[in-house]
Amino acid sequence: MSSGPKKRNFQIEAFKHKVVVDPKYAEKTWKVLEDAIREIYNHNASGLSFEELYRNAYNMVLHKFGERLYSGLVSTMTLHLQSMSKSIEAAQGASFLDELNTKWNDHNKALQMIRDILMYMDRTFIPSTHKTPVHELGLNLWRDNVIHNSNIQSRLLNTILELIQRERTGEVINRGLMRNIIKMLMDLGPSVYQEDFEKSFLQVSADFYRAESQEYIECCDCADYLKKAERRLNEEIDRVSHYLDTKTETKITNVVEKEMIANHKLRLIHMENSGLVKMLLDDKFEDLARMYNLFHRVSIGLSTIRDVMTSHIRDTGKQLVTDPEKSKNPVEFVETLLEKRDKYDKIISSAFSNDKTFQNALSSSFEYFINLNPRSPEYISLFVDDKLRKGLKGVKDDDVELILDKVMILFRYLQEKDVFEKYYKQHLAKRLLSGKTVSDDAERSLIVKLKTECGYQFTSKLEGMFTDMKTSQDTMQGFYAACGAELGNGPTLVVQVLTTGSWPTQSTNTCNLPVELSTLCEKFRSYYLGTHTGRRLTWQTNMGTADLRATFGEVHKYELNVSTYQMCVLMLFNNTEHLSYKEIEQATEIPSSDLKRCLQSLACVKGKNVLRKEPMSKDIGEDDVFSVNDSFTSKLRKVKIGTVVAQKESEPEKQETRQRVEEDRKPQIEAAIVRIMKSRRVLDHNNIIAEVTKQLQSRFLANPGEIKKRIESLIERDFLERDNEDRRLYRYLA
Amino acid sequence: MFFYGSASGKAASKELERIDQLFYNYANSSSRIIDPEGIESLCSDLELDHTDVRILMLAWKMQAEKQGYFTLDEWRTGFKALRADTMIKVKKALLDLEKEVRRSSNFIDFYSYAFRYCLTEEKQKSIDIESICLLLDLVLGSQFHPQVDALNQYLKIQIDYKVINMDQWMGFYRFCNEISFPDFCNYDPDHAWPLILDNFVDWIRSKYTMHFANISIGPTSRITAAIVVPTAL
Repeated sequence: MSSGPKKRNFQIEAFKHKVVVDPKYAEKTWKVLEDAIREIYNHNASGLSFEELYRNAYNMVLHKFGERLYSGLVSTMTLHLQSMSKSIEAAQGASFLDELNTKWNDHNKALQMIRDILMYMDRTFIPSTHKTPVHELGLNLWRDNVIHNSNIQSRLLNTILELIQRERTGEVINRGLMRNIIKMLMDLGPSVYQEDFEKSFLQVSADFYRAESQEYIECCDCADYLKKAERRLNEEIDRVSHYLDTKTETKITNVVEKEMIANHKLRLIHMENSGLVKMLLDDKFEDLARMYNLFHRVSIGLSTIRDVMTSHIRDTGKQLVTDPEKSKNPVEFVETLLEKRDKYDKIISSAFSNDKTFQNALSSSFEYFINLNPRSPEYISLFVDDKLRKGLKGVKDDDVELILDKVMILFRYLQEKDVFEKYYKQHLAKRLLSGKTVSDDAERSLIVKLKTECGYQFTSKLEGMFTDMKTSQDTMQGFYAACGAELGNGPTLVVQVLTTGSWPTQSTNTCNLPVELSTLCEKFRSYYLGTHTGRRLTWQTNMGTADLRATFGEVHKYELNVSTYQMCVLMLFNNTEHLSYKEIEQATEIPSSDLKRCLQSLACVKGKNVLRKEPMSKDIGEDDVFSVNDSFTSKLRKVKIGTVVAQKESEPEKQETRQRVEEDRKPQIEAAIVRIMKSRRVLDHNNIIAEVTKQLQSRFLANPGEIKKRIESLIERDFLERDNEDRRLYRYLA
Repeated sequence: MFFYGSASGKAASKELERIDQLFYNYANSSSRIIDPEGIESLCSDLELDHTDVRILMLAWKMQAEKQGYFTLDEWRTGFKALRADTMIKVKKALLDLEKEVRRSSNFIDFYSYAFRYCLTEEKQKSIDIESICLLLDLVLGSQFHPQVDALNQYLKIQIDYKVINMDQWMGFYRFCNEISFPDFCNYDPDHAWPLILDNFVDWIRSKYTMHFANISIGPTSRITAAIVVPTAL
């Protein structure tokens, strides 16, 4: 069928009838919601239909009545909050916080429901109009109408602070309630928490602790005070964990630290009879640890402790080393030093948690005072000598190592290590030659430690000494193999051949050996020089020992262990009964000071007086007469008389050693200067001094004046020259 | 050996002749050089004591090598430098010479020459204290009298050094020239002065401290020991 141009459009036409929007629609709808809100606040929510309310709110927004809805919400919520405020205000005393807490919970519950109901508005209208979302709005309104209500605001703060104060004085408070209230403030935003609580809390706490610390410091001793401070600190941390914002912890601990510790730092440390020094002296580990932990928290707290400790150690150390009484016995001297070091080591490890800065302070203090006594190097060597002679007898290997390590610690503190080396060499020589060393392993072990510390050069000569001892044994075997037959029944000779460079230099003295021995010695000399060309042998009669078989009064037989000098003197009495000092001197040609000492050891020492002296005085006079003491007896068959034991040097000996050390230093300084100038070519005065001092530091502390002298000597010998323009510069002359 | 050019070659050779003639007046006939006797004679003709500093300056002008002796070459060098060929001219020249030497930048050259001139032995590098004191006085005495006085006093008292070497000698001059005396306010020990001068400064300072301490107490009391604070080197 054909159809005419009939227009057939599909059109959807708008409603022809206008939907009549009830002008009162908004108001009606709002009324429903308003009533619901009221019911919610009145705890009557159960009778409400969520779905209906939601739809109502939804429609309002849909029909562009969002603004009405929102403003309605604001005003109705405000009203309810205001009435809540009134009831809170009306609460008496303790129930104030309870009421506040209850009402807060109510409000939160209500807010939750209201938000759910108004969810559509929250998601659409509010973001597009940049209004505050419902939940946040609820909190703000609570804040403005309740918390910042003029009748509530300060009352709330004061109540909280009062409770805290009461808790601080020991009362038990309702922590659960506090937690809720504080949480409420936190929920209202950080600025509310801070402005309406934290700021004042910190201020009040500061005042409280300031007053308390003032009170305590007047009546407590240091340890008690620190205990109290620690307790308070822990309390505050505990408080925060239970009912405050964790961010408050640092702030409140800072307050306590400042008021209780930082402000009284110095007074605590220097407290008479109970401060740091007393704690150190009495090894109060627990109190010291507490002090360390507390002071760790305040700025420069630890450095203050460290400084006081350092100056205490320096002062007491200085007293120790400069006290003539204490420095009489070298071994005791060193033992006291070791004890002191052990003491502070223990303190630092148990109380100061092994703090490295404290360990360094200890080391530098020791370094300071040990070097105040110029005899320290000698004494440390004597201590080692004593240990290696007898002190380490029966001691287990591990303990031996421990003791040697401790000695090494002291050694490291010495500035004049070359002085130590000189004495150590002397003492080692005596030990080796008299065969009086307790443990070869211990000796070697110490040498290894010294080598590790100071390098090969330091110990090469010492090792040479050991080598000589071994070589001598081999030489003796060869001697007796070759000449044994012709020696027959004469005295047995044991020779130690020492290489001059390795052993401490001794001046050779005159001494006439008894005939039997001098022939024997000559035989050895020709044997030795026969097998070794280009060498020279010199007998060191001031060293050496002899074992003599002696018969007293024809009955008592003893074996006497004596020194070479003593042997020479005693053998004289094989031919005569009486001899005067002068005669002995003439016959033996031993130098007088040595001879006098020798005779004293033979005639004046109780239990060892193999000779009798007329008169019986302690001193040796030129005209004294000696004879064999026929009535000499001893419990032991073997009597040891001669001791070549290392002793503290006498004044003149000390001067001599010191002089030799100074002389030895000169070439070392020059070598250092030449080494430095050779590599730098041109260098100014101050830098040379600094570099030389640094290079020589491991051996001794170089004196700038001495370095200057050496430089001038080198200039004179054309190793260096001064620069023409700048007098401070030196130039190396190739 | 060069002759300074003068206007006519003839005049120059005449001059040389006169100079040589003067030389032979004093020279030893056998050795043909002027020896100590000749120098004595020369000095008396010049009306100068042989310890006069101008004789030393003359030696310097001559670049004379050996103390107490002048060779012909040295003589010629010296007289040419002085532009003199008669005794009268020499006398006049010597009068001016002292002023000239002291003023000029040549002084340091003269000063070091004076030291070398006194080294009489071969390989000798230092001069004994007594001679040094005399030399100091001679060479620096007129210009730096108080310093030289004090220094000489110190040198005689101290025991660290028995002889003085060239480096120390040069140090003395620089010291007198540069350092304010007697306060030493611009003395800086870091400036690598020879050690002997550091010690000298310390010594003077301690002297003055003692002196001051003496004054502050009444005439009847005595100080048996003064406290001396050494300066750090």
